[in-house]
Amino acid sequence: MLATVPLHAARRRVFGSVFSPATLEAHPTKSTTLQHDQTPASFESTDSSSTFKDSQATSFATIGGSTDTASPEESALNQARLAAKEFLSVPNLGFDLIYKFRNTDGSEALKEWNRLSPPSKATAEALGHLMRTSPWSLFDWYANDIRRHFLVNFRTGLSKLLMCLDSDGLLRIIVDCLQLARRIYLAPVVHYLFPLIGNHQGAFLAQLQRAFHTVVSYSLPWAGISPLLSRELTQDAVVILGIDTLDEDSDVDEMSIDEADMERAYSVSYRRWRLESPESQAHMMVEGEDRRVTIARDQLLAFLNGLQLVGLGGDQAQKVFANVMNVMMGDFVRAAYAGEWEPHSSAPQHLGQWVENVYARLAVQVLAILHSDPAGSQSGAMDVSAPDVAKWKAMGIARLGKLRVSELFDVIVDWPASSGAVEDLRHFTVSSGARLYVANGFSAILPLRLLHPGASTVEILQVYISIIRAFHMLDPKGVLLDRIARPIRRYLRDRDDTVKVIVSGLLADPIGQEAAGDTLAELAAELTKVHHHSMQNNKSELDFEDMYWTPDPVDAAPDYKKSKSVDVIDSLVSLFDSKETFVKEMQTLLADRLMQKRQDFDQEITVLELLKVRFGDSALQACEVMLKDIADSRRLDHAVRNDRLFSSYRKQAGAGRLHAKILSRFFWPEFQEQEFKIPDEVQQLQERYATCFEKFKDTRKLRWRNALGQVTVELEFENHTFKDEVTTWQATVIYAFQSDSDEPATKAVPELAEELEMTPALVRSACLFWVSKRVLTEVQRDTYRVLEVLPTEDEEHHTHGAGTFTDASDSEAGDTANAAAAAEAAAAAAAKESAEAAAMEKMNVHWQFIVGMLTNQGAMGLDRIVMMLKIAVPGGFPFSNEELREFLGGMVSKGKLEIVNGGNYKIVH
Amino acid sequence: MDYSMEDTQNSAPEAQQASKLNTSGQKGDTHNVTKRLQSELMQLMVSPSPGISAFPDADGNLLSWTATITGPTETPYENLRLKLSFAFPNNYPYSPPTVLFKTPIYHPNVDFSGRICLDILKDKWSAVYNVSTVLLSLQSLLGEPNNASPLNAQAAELWDSDQAEFKRHVLARHQDLDEE
Repeated sequence: MLATVPLHAARRRVFGSVFSPATLEAHPTKSTTLQHDQTPASFESTDSSSTFKDSQATSFATIGGSTDTASPEESALNQARLAAKEFLSVPNLGFDLIYKFRNTDGSEALKEWNRLSPPSKATAEALGHLMRTSPWSLFDWYANDIRRHFLVNFRTGLSKLLMCLDSDGLLRIIVDCLQLARRIYLAPVVHYLFPLIGNHQGAFLAQLQRAFHTVVSYSLPWAGISPLLSRELTQDAVVILGIDTLDEDSDVDEMSIDEADMERAYSVSYRRWRLESPESQAHMMVEGEDRRVTIARDQLLAFLNGLQLVGLGGDQAQKVFANVMNVMMGDFVRAAYAGEWEPHSSAPQHLGQWVENVYARLAVQVLAILHSDPAGSQSGAMDVSAPDVAKWKAMGIARLGKLRVSELFDVIVDWPASSGAVEDLRHFTVSSGARLYVANGFSAILPLRLLHPGASTVEILQVYISIIRAFHMLDPKGVLLDRIARPIRRYLRDRDDTVKVIVSGLLADPIGQEAAGDTLAELAAELTKVHHHSMQNNKSELDFEDMYWTPDPVDAAPDYKKSKSVDVIDSLVSLFDSKETFVKEMQTLLADRLMQKRQDFDQEITVLELLKVRFGDSALQACEVMLKDIADSRRLDHAVRNDRLFSSYRKQAGAGRLHAKILSRFFWPEFQEQEFKIPDEVQQLQERYATCFEKFKDTRKLRWRNALGQVTVELEFENHTFKDEVTTWQATVIYAFQSDSDEPATKAVPELAEELEMTPALVRSACLFWVSKRVLTEVQRDTYRVLEVLPTEDEEHHTHGAGTFTDASDSEAGDTANAAAAAEAAAAAAAKESAEAAAMEKMNVHWQFIVGMLTNQGAMGLDRIVMMLKIAVPGGFPFSNEELREFLGGMVSKGKLEIVNGGNYKIVH
Repeated sequence: MDYSMEDTQNSAPEAQQASKLNTSGQKGDTHNVTKRLQSELMQLMVSPSPGISAFPDADGNLLSWTATITGPTETPYENLRLKLSFAFPNNYPYSPPTVLFKTPIYHPNVDFSGRICLDILKDKWSAVYNVSTVLLSLQSLLGEPNNASPLNAQAAELWDSDQAEFKRHVLARHQDLDEE
């Protein structure tokens, strides 16, 4: 039979049976669970409440302990007891009714339950009698009856209610119901019994309340209540603490400025707070509380009052509250300060005020209600002391620090507009644990956001510079920077173009910063700043004169070196093991710039002078010489050209003007050069120039570098002229087209290549360049003709239509834009050719290493060769394994190497 | 025959002593030595001399090298490939490297364990010498042994008396070490 009854119904019956008053009396707490296990089999299905009443009646009589001997007093007492029981017993009306009445003031419900009707005269007498003689037994009985009644009538309904977790405000409903139930139980006692007893009222009430709380907390498992409670608390706390308005702020932002003005009196927003004067800042969070907040606060406190009253408050509610407040702190910090990085931050002060005035206020109010003493006295309430508030402030700062660490990368990208965030962080990094957190947190972000192939070297360097500045502000000792910079520096060393970017940054024009996209013009600006102590930085540790010496910070790495200044350039230059790499790149770049045709090189001279302060004169000697060469050659050039011998020849030959830059070969970097034959006319001029030069400097010889110059070309055609500055090889090619005849000259690429001793790629590139200038046209593949008559739009169209050109693709070539692109591509191809040749040249040096290695160490595999090359070749081995494999394969096919067992390479003698 | 076992006890005593004396400043010295050796290597690679070559061993610290000399023409060692080991002391180039023939060689100034009697590797050492000059000296020593102070008296005698027999001895003793 039991099996057919739904489980909870069966359980209810079982519990109902268990709670016989006697057992409860004997084991007030233990018996509930104990009996629950034992009784099911022994109990018949007795659902009717009357059965309970009967059994209780007898039990109740037994409590008095006097059923056997029926003395007159005893029987009178029994009579009185029965009357009292009759009066106090609660009708079994079920939960639904309570649910219905939960929102009323309760009087209806009390009527319904028959709790307000005054006792009849006889009953009142009986009650009076009982109160006088044995009030405790009556209250004991009533406490038990409350438990029984609650379990029978309300428990199932409440659990059902608790099951539907998703409805909002569920806990409020439950609390309302419970409050009503509590009133139903206590109303007659308070109204009619308490007037009859003089003192001890409080104790009796506490007893009944305890009974009610016990049964409530038994029926409603805390695991079900706590999520509901935390949801309720969160909902109101968000409003009271002002977090919801902050979220709105960030959404609406500018739009609600008018509104903001009106509400300005009260706001927890950091952004608004910043704008206020210090006096109003102090009042901002104290006075003129928003109406919404007041309502929410009243609501919450009322709700918590109810909660406490029905026995769901206390320790456990405090724990839930603590959890919620913990989350709130994080939410507030995030909502209020995320992205607020303005310099001169006062976020910590704002946070302090907020904790003091808003956060602590709520905590004090809530904790005053949710005290642990169920009796209702205030003794169990938790006090909020000043140290607590201080602790909360520290917590807030820690949260702020956490937020800032998570934002740190973006902060640094925005540097220096975001220095406020770093100021905030300084408040946080007071302990070594916090510092470690910052360092670790940031280091973890770096590989994800910065040190990956997608970031250009310029970007990385820019961020690195910002990092240097930001961390110098955060930690002037430089320990954190030291820790964080290591991976960045290691990564930068692996990038090929790092030196190039740095050097070109140094040489960039700090005034005209329009080309900031791909250069670090910032470096040039940095360079001009005066750093007095940059040279004295490398003092050894054993400087006994240093009266300001302090030991290294505790969390410093073993090889940590103190740097006294935030010297960006020093940090960048020290990336490389030696200054040589740097100086070499400097030379290359300087050479490129000095080769340009310019009036003066003041910028370069300034940069060089500034660098000399850092590196010392000797390191930059080559650069010095290069600059001097340029200055000298200007004078020398002037002298040579004014020389009688040279000028007379020039007039006589009617040749163009020739300027020369005389470079001291040993001090200039190697130039990649394309050899070719220059026009005879120019060559003769060069020879004259050389003779004149040797007259001035008789120990020196002049060797012409034909590919490095610029030529101003003037071309005359039938109906137009052309004048531009071009490279020497372009000029040489167009010179070859020069003819006196009326017929436009036509030449083919191979022909030109042979004539000019120039590579075909270069010739083609030059021809395409002239096509793009509308000087040549491509009449056939690789054959070009001078365009003597510039066609008008119409004519051009006509020729296209008439099909003068051999095929469609060639007619396309007439398009100047296309030709320009083609010229560029061809030039790139030519440049690539020469670069490849240079790479092979480089590989040749490596080939020597490989030969030496294989000769002396025997046959080796590819991996070992690469490893050894990396160790042995100064400056490292720039080729990949694949490139080397290809190269070695080439050597194998040339018969210089052979592959022996296991794929090892062996030298062939 | 394998004489390599004897190497340790016979290696030049000065070098060991010198390294002991210098242990205090060893770290900085090693750095300088490495630098110097690296530039010597670069020099050897950029401008190789015919018949000699040298390269650091794979241990990565650059302090031990292997070198190869090809026997000069018109000597009994013509076309023979002779391997040598170089061990550089920590105060190189102020002390000479310890140089040993690894390839078994029959020569008046080289004993059977490969030790070489050459003044510039002993008392006449100077810091201006380097790997390349040492190798060139050794190469010329092959053609012109110093029979006044032989380590291998028989060879010295034979060199003067019977060149053909000498060459036979050289070839008999020679053994290519290439394939290890």
